[in-house]
Amino acid sequence: MTTADLDELFAPEVVADPYSYFARLREIDPVYWNERFQLWVITGYEEVVWLLRHHELFSSAIMRNSASPPYPPVDPEDLPLFDEVREFRADQLVEQDRPEHLHQRSVVHQYFTPTAMESWRPFVRDAVAELLDELEPLGRMDVLTDLAAPLPVRVIAQMMDVPWEDRDHLRELADSILYMNRGEPYRLRPLTEGMRGIVEYAAPLVEERLDRPGDDFISILAQGEKAGIFTRHQVLVNTGLLLFAGHETTMNLICNGLLTFIEHPDQWDLLAADPGGMARLATEECLRYDPPVKSTQRIAAEDVRLGGKAIHKGDRIRWIMAAANRDPSVFPDPDRFDIGRQPNPHISFGSGIHYCLGVALARMEGQEVFRALAERFGRFDLATEEVEYQPSIQFRSLKSLPVSWDRRSR
Amino acid sequence: MTRRLNVRVDHSCCVGNAMCLATAPGVFAHNDQRQSEVVDPEGQSEEKILEAAFNCPTGAIRVEIAEGGEQLFP
Repeated sequence: MTTADLDELFAPEVVADPYSYFARLREIDPVYWNERFQLWVITGYEEVVWLLRHHELFSSAIMRNSASPPYPPVDPEDLPLFDEVREFRADQLVEQDRPEHLHQRSVVHQYFTPTAMESWRPFVRDAVAELLDELEPLGRMDVLTDLAAPLPVRVIAQMMDVPWEDRDHLRELADSILYMNRGEPYRLRPLTEGMRGIVEYAAPLVEERLDRPGDDFISILAQGEKAGIFTRHQVLVNTGLLLFAGHETTMNLICNGLLTFIEHPDQWDLLAADPGGMARLATEECLRYDPPVKSTQRIAAEDVRLGGKAIHKGDRIRWIMAAANRDPSVFPDPDRFDIGRQPNPHISFGSGIHYCLGVALARMEGQEVFRALAERFGRFDLATEEVEYQPSIQFRSLKSLPVSWDRRSR
Repeated sequence: MTRRLNVRVDHSCCVGNAMCLATAPGVFAHNDQRQSEVVDPEGQSEEKILEAAFNCPTGAIRVEIAEGGEQLFP
């Protein structure tokens, strides 16, 4: 592999197998300047954690601070739509720096604490059971469309406290917003349709809950507006953020985790021997081994040295959790999938002030799915020759995951 | 009279989210690793300290009554 190859962040081989590529980068240079795409690529565990915990040096306001055009390129006639995307994303909580970030996060933080989320476990467990009741007799499913996508939408619809019959519409909106992460040249059209759709859908709900708040997530955002912390636009785009962030990441956790188990039947058998006891550790190892999000961005807010390199104010940075999670200086035998691994300080939820808000929910959804699958089914077989991933640098998203099982095995 | 508390942060799971510093300033502060450390368990009311523990996204904060050791959180 030449240096030029090392710059090919978006190569199809890297999408198919990010781990070999990023391991090489980490070995050669954990703080690497990618000349071709003009950005730093951070792959070492220690360097990534240091970066994430120094939020004052590394800004999260990517949309406001970077003028880079969309990549992979989009249809030229769609370029004006990118301004709309920018404006939408710039107002999301994940794109804020302090002090605004602290004020805004404080409004929504309590809703997602581990204790608060624990009260959702029975709902999630029932939703998983309901989906599996329908699937179990069939002997086959596409894990993505039949289980991993509908589950988070049910949970999010309940968190928004919207009518049951709106679920299909929310699912359509979520599917459109998922184009945020795709490579298709036409993607800005469905994406902006989804963004407008969620704003249109949420606007009357916000209006209603400003006056008559419930204990749902939209009411919490609306009360944040009342307190002068969120603008109306921020309330609306953060409703969209809940839909998007809670959807794609959970989908990937379930699909990537199950695929990993299919590839490691000995670990599946370990889980199946004690689903209730092992689901928690198994979910953590799935999160480490093949994380839902491969990488995210920052922009240097000041000149700063990291790993002996001089990073300049305004430089773009991509930090790779998929690489840091396999850093041998932290994880012994890092390429081994081992559901008994402890400690397991993976950084699939990030670290520092932007540590994933939905962490407790994501963990619980993963635990409940893997537990239920292991309780009900024997081994799964992959029902395709090979799997394909969305051409994204950020998300590790399968395009589909057809599996089958022997209906007589349990 | 306010009772004295033992407050501890488990550094094996603290991710430096820093919400405890915002909720109970004076009690918690960051160390060199940007993980939370208890600097003064009497720096805020018991209510604020428990709120910080409750809100920790990784459940890293433990609170107990100093005398007798009764656990208040988790």
